[in-house]
Amino acid sequence: MAIAIGGIGTSHAPTIGVAWDRGQQQEPPWAPLFSGYVPARAWLDEVKPDLFLIVYNDHVNQFFFDTYPTFALGVGATHGQADEGWGKRPLPDLPGDPDFAWHLAHSLVADEFDPTICQEMKLDHGVLSFLPLLTDTDWKVPVVPLAVNVIQHPIPTARRLYRLGGALGRAIASYPKNKRIVVFGTGGLTHQLHGAQFGTKNVDWDNEFMDRLETDPAGLSELSIQEYMERGGTEGVEMIMWLAMRGALGENVRRVHRNYTAPFTTGYGLLVLET
Amino acid sequence: MDEISTREAALDEVISGAYVFTVERSARGYALNKMANSLSSSDNRARFSEDEAAYMRGMGCSPEQVDLVARRDWKGMLESGASIYLMLKIGAAVGVALPEIGAHSAGMTLAEYQARKAH
Repeated sequence: MAIAIGGIGTSHAPTIGVAWDRGQQQEPPWAPLFSGYVPARAWLDEVKPDLFLIVYNDHVNQFFFDTYPTFALGVGATHGQADEGWGKRPLPDLPGDPDFAWHLAHSLVADEFDPTICQEMKLDHGVLSFLPLLTDTDWKVPVVPLAVNVIQHPIPTARRLYRLGGALGRAIASYPKNKRIVVFGTGGLTHQLHGAQFGTKNVDWDNEFMDRLETDPAGLSELSIQEYMERGGTEGVEMIMWLAMRGALGENVRRVHRNYTAPFTTGYGLLVLET
Repeated sequence: MDEISTREAALDEVISGAYVFTVERSARGYALNKMANSLSSSDNRARFSEDEAAYMRGMGCSPEQVDLVARRDWKGMLESGASIYLMLKIGAAVGVALPEIGAHSAGMTLAEYQARKAH
């Protein structure tokens, strides 16, 4: 039997990847962010997952607006890296898990979630920015990516993401093979990348969101997309994907680790929860 | 058309001065966004750098869109339906990063934005 052993909520940003590639882990202002991942990595080393199920968003790198899916599931044996416009990073392709991914496809559709099925899916910083902070880059743990449209409105509601998490949890519980799975929700926290309020963050809301993700995810899921944008910026709306992670873990969770820094344009959050 | 405009206006009010990327904007900015998306390949970036206007015309961009890029009018690109994520690809190809693009879209120079942030 497969089991969701825990979940990780984490921000993603291209600059994290750039700083990591340049070896700036110890340099201010990056050090508080990178050191924040050390306990999360120690937890992963201890619980030894054999699969990462990562709910993230593509930033017009795998998909373009000719065909932009609301939900898309990567079922390939490997996942390549997208060139986001400044060349690829020195990272190998990620291993996938087709057997689990096809099970997930069947289970989600039976559960009335209908992802676009992708046998090829190039990943961008939505996955690759934070992953080297959590695991060796020989990628021993396979990844099943699930992309969500949070950039071309209409986008799915927070409630839809929370319910998607429930469906992910049921899919994991019904997988017949032994598999210890960590579910990721990525994106956010607050950031506004354009317009009159460019660069605005909302530190209070970021921390309230992380508080309530533990204790009141159902309440968070009742907020509208407009409310998320009002509080966290038009691009900060990505944070609704953390609700999919939380929804997959069931009612009771224990917090293992939490970190928050906001040195640049984005509030960077990290939350590790155990079932 | 009125209904579409109303819906867009309602979303724009969510964040003062933000251009929420709706399907209506996506349709209006499609050619510019498609051109920007093509810059995900190093060959295309090289062709674009050789002659930006010719490359853009070849990708079906309008004279107005060519002009917006020639003038590095990031705010104008947003107004005409560009996605911020695709503008970052244009920025990468011409050597302009997010802080400058964002500041311009807020009506500031990069120096003005950094000065405001420091306070």
